[in-house]
Amino acid sequence: MLSFSLILISVFAGFLGSILGLGGGIIVVPALTLLFNIDIRYAIAASLVSIIATSSGAAASFLKDNLTNLRLAVLLELGTVAGAMCGFLIASYIDSSFLFLLFGGFLFFSAIMMFRKKGDGHTNIDHPWSSQLRLSGEYHNEKGELISYKVANVPLGLFSMYFAGILSALLGIGSGIFKVMAMDGAMKLPMKVSSATSNFMIGVTASASAGAFFLRGDIRPEIACPVAIGIIGGSWIGARIMPILPANTIRKIFVVVLVIVSIQMIMRGVKS
Amino acid sequence: MKDLVTLELKISKFLRLGVIFAGVLMLTGWLMEIEFSRDPFIVFKTYDHIPFQDLLDIHLKNQQWGYLISYAGLLSLIVLPVIRVLLTGILFIKQKERLLAVIALLVLAGLLISFSFGIEL
Repeated sequence: MLSFSLILISVFAGFLGSILGLGGGIIVVPALTLLFNIDIRYAIAASLVSIIATSSGAAASFLKDNLTNLRLAVLLELGTVAGAMCGFLIASYIDSSFLFLLFGGFLFFSAIMMFRKKGDGHTNIDHPWSSQLRLSGEYHNEKGELISYKVANVPLGLFSMYFAGILSALLGIGSGIFKVMAMDGAMKLPMKVSSATSNFMIGVTASASAGAFFLRGDIRPEIACPVAIGIIGGSWIGARIMPILPANTIRKIFVVVLVIVSIQMIMRGVKS
Repeated sequence: MKDLVTLELKISKFLRLGVIFAGVLMLTGWLMEIEFSRDPFIVFKTYDHIPFQDLLDIHLKNQQWGYLISYAGLLSLIVLPVIRVLLTGILFIKQKERLLAVIALLVLAGLLISFSFGIEL
């Protein structure tokens, strides 16, 4: 019966992730470790599988609204995949207590970022790499106006993606928050384009380290299957009832939960 | 660019079908084994490294088809983004976007190299 509770908590994680626009990893890893006492390395490996499931399942919807910059996504995947490769190698030498501390710190940072005022980046200067690869784009805003944008600081963005990839492999998360920060802050992309492009890239980033964890034997079906099934189901439900839910109120409650969980993760790291 | 998005949209719809296929395999395998598997909350409380090849040998030897189906589901899910990158690379080649095609193929190579890190020789 405990295995079914694993599915239920994953359905909840997928549901919450879907309505808040987060990957399931930020909820699943603390739930598996703090509630079920599963070793953090198995939790991270299982979480990566569920990220691939949600990202691949939703890729079509990210493209439909024309917000995703496909050419930029392919370029930045170069950075995230390289980072994920390094992250996997680093993870082999890191103690689980440090992973708890790092995860706790990441959750705390995420909570702060969820309160951040979201403003649009903007630049009139196209970086030479952007001109060469024709990375600039356009999209329609809510009023139906055509908004054109250019892409700045491509090398810095690529370098930031490398760190996002490392974090993804180390913590079993999609690192969407860091990807959006890099695209919005460094590359001066509009927030909507940053979010859509980041969501589109998450599956590839997670796949890089998930494949290695799978072949190393860390992705165990007893945990990974119920978690992935639960998250697929939960995000499907979340996407359908999202329009009738007060997402902003849920977000505020979730930030408080995130802070509490981050403290618990840090305490677990200190104790062990 | 519009053609590229249209074709990529088709790939993404194919990925959605892939997720459903993997989900069915994982659910089937998991339900087949749930009665016979040991309590995961005790077994996975501490990390015990067993390479995938050894796990596969054990399940094949004991004819634990549920585990094997679950692994097939997990593997098909993990390779979905790899297929997406490969198809995107082919799209760029067809559209004569040589530089982006090279970048997509480099991402593909990175993914395959990363997978190989998990293999113990």
